[in-house]
Amino acid sequence: MIYVENLKKEFKKTIKDPGLKGSIKSFFKPQNEIITAVKDISFHVPKGEILGFIGPNGAGKSTVIKMLTGILTPTSGRCEINGKIPYKNRKNYVKEIGVVFGQRTQLWWDLALRETYTVLKEIYEVDDESFKTRMAFLNEVLELEDFITNPVRTLSLGQRMRADIAASLLHSPKVLFLDEPTIGLDVVVKDNIRKAIKAINAEKNTTVILTTHDLKDVENLCDRIVMIDKGSKVFDGDISDLKSRFGESRELNFVPENIDIIKTLDYKNEFKLSDDDFELSDNGVEVNVRFNSNKVSVEKMLNYTLSKTHVKDINVTDADIEEIIKGIYRSEVNLDA
Amino acid sequence: MKMLRKIHRMFKLHRIFIKQDLKKLMEYKIDFLTGAIGMLLTQAINIFFLSVIFARIPNLEGYSFEQIIFIYGFALLPKSIDHLFFDNLWAIGHFIIRKGDFDKYLTRPVSTLFAVTVEKFQVDAFGELVVGIMLLGYSVPKIAVSINFVNVILFVVAIFFATFIYTGVKLITSAIAFWTKRSGNITYMFYMINDFAKYPTTIYNRVVRTVITYIVPFAFTAFFPASYFITGGNVWYNIGGTVVMAVVLMAVGIFVWNKGVSAYESAGS
Repeated sequence: MIYVENLKKEFKKTIKDPGLKGSIKSFFKPQNEIITAVKDISFHVPKGEILGFIGPNGAGKSTVIKMLTGILTPTSGRCEINGKIPYKNRKNYVKEIGVVFGQRTQLWWDLALRETYTVLKEIYEVDDESFKTRMAFLNEVLELEDFITNPVRTLSLGQRMRADIAASLLHSPKVLFLDEPTIGLDVVVKDNIRKAIKAINAEKNTTVILTTHDLKDVENLCDRIVMIDKGSKVFDGDISDLKSRFGESRELNFVPENIDIIKTLDYKNEFKLSDDDFELSDNGVEVNVRFNSNKVSVEKMLNYTLSKTHVKDINVTDADIEEIIKGIYRSEVNLDA
Repeated sequence: MKMLRKIHRMFKLHRIFIKQDLKKLMEYKIDFLTGAIGMLLTQAINIFFLSVIFARIPNLEGYSFEQIIFIYGFALLPKSIDHLFFDNLWAIGHFIIRKGDFDKYLTRPVSTLFAVTVEKFQVDAFGELVVGIMLLGYSVPKIAVSINFVNVILFVVAIFFATFIYTGVKLITSAIAFWTKRSGNITYMFYMINDFAKYPTTIYNRVVRTVITYIVPFAFTAFFPASYFITGGNVWYNIGGTVVMAVVLMAVGIFVWNKGVSAYESAGS
């Protein structure tokens, strides 16, 4: 479905000394520097999958998406989607994809939303019959009815995002690219958008590639994630993979009968844990212990804790995916492990 | 058949946006009226000065006042038609590329050039169009223009191609922004040369004449075609030249544009 091989993108950047003097100097004697936004990325997405494309700001996510959607021409490497190469024969290719950039609308500012869809119907040559059924479906999952007669410029961000997603789906694309579709939205709208994406994916087995900074999106939607950092791929697999590979960290939370008991708890010496593998904190009522489950088993931790104190409540939780990713972004996690 | 369907589709899209821009005109009445009045004043002052000059001299390089008015009015037609339909090219050089807004045109299955130009119908241009028609209406009966079938066709052909001389100049200069990110001022510099085209080129020195005939050929948008209708002479050069210049400029423009699109670098988001 989607094959990406050794994709690379370089940008030329003019180096300027600061100030007006620098600008004048660079005007007469421009000095260029090559910036590599995407180094060497390969992955493959089967049909019908929802792929989460994540990475810190500036990692090159958008650049990859722009190459996959035919906006940018790669410096080297190749990508093939539905058997087509995006930047060659662009017009033919984009008929089969839908694109939403959360940061900027693709709709026409002054057109009423309904008119917008009429324009898109013409652009994508959707026939009347499919247009009708399509609109009915999109209306149902994205609830456009309330604001469909309003001009785009008057829509709230949540409405606009729904409108944008609907616009990208009017022609029933085989692949949908969503670049930060939940950015800046409130919890309820985010939730609605996630449900809609699921419904869209289920309806026609549409392949979805989405970038996001909201890891709830990833947990809720994605079958698989590709994580990139500084233009290179650092992880490719499903969420349980991520957890089992990097998620040896566990959290033990308990409420002791007497909070002063923590002074007598000496996990560190008992289990010979280093600072990296262990962290203890409390909020005056509850105690929170983060530990590396490879170094000391959950059972031992529990036994030791319960042998020292009576507890009102106790639980052990899995590593939070957010914690793992934070670790990878900060390169705390050893990726070769 | 496929071609016809394509053209039909293009017109349909045009209609939607034109309707929209006319609606907008009703919404922003004051803005439109101010613009229209300002434009009328500019033209009125220009005409007034011409009449003042002609009150002192019987003719200008052999051209009478009415003939000058004819050239002047003729010049306004292609200029305003280009302005009506291809105004969005200005935005390309000013901000569309620099801000990365060009992305959206690339994700649509239509030519980027069509997608960019169709979405704006510049109603302000109606003012110039009306003034141009009025000036022709005033001057044609007073000068010896023979109105016959061939001349009417030639008139339409001349206006049509002259329009694309304007569009071509804008196209080439705004496409430079694909490499430089910004080229609005370059477009402006070249576009303003059209001011020379409203008068007989014979009144200028050799440098200006060469520039507006062969380099930025605005002379073919007004003086040359208009002088065919005034004198009836040299149709091949006067009208043919307009066609050739328009075709060359548009061909170069589309070539540069397409090269530019593949060099487009978008903007960070």
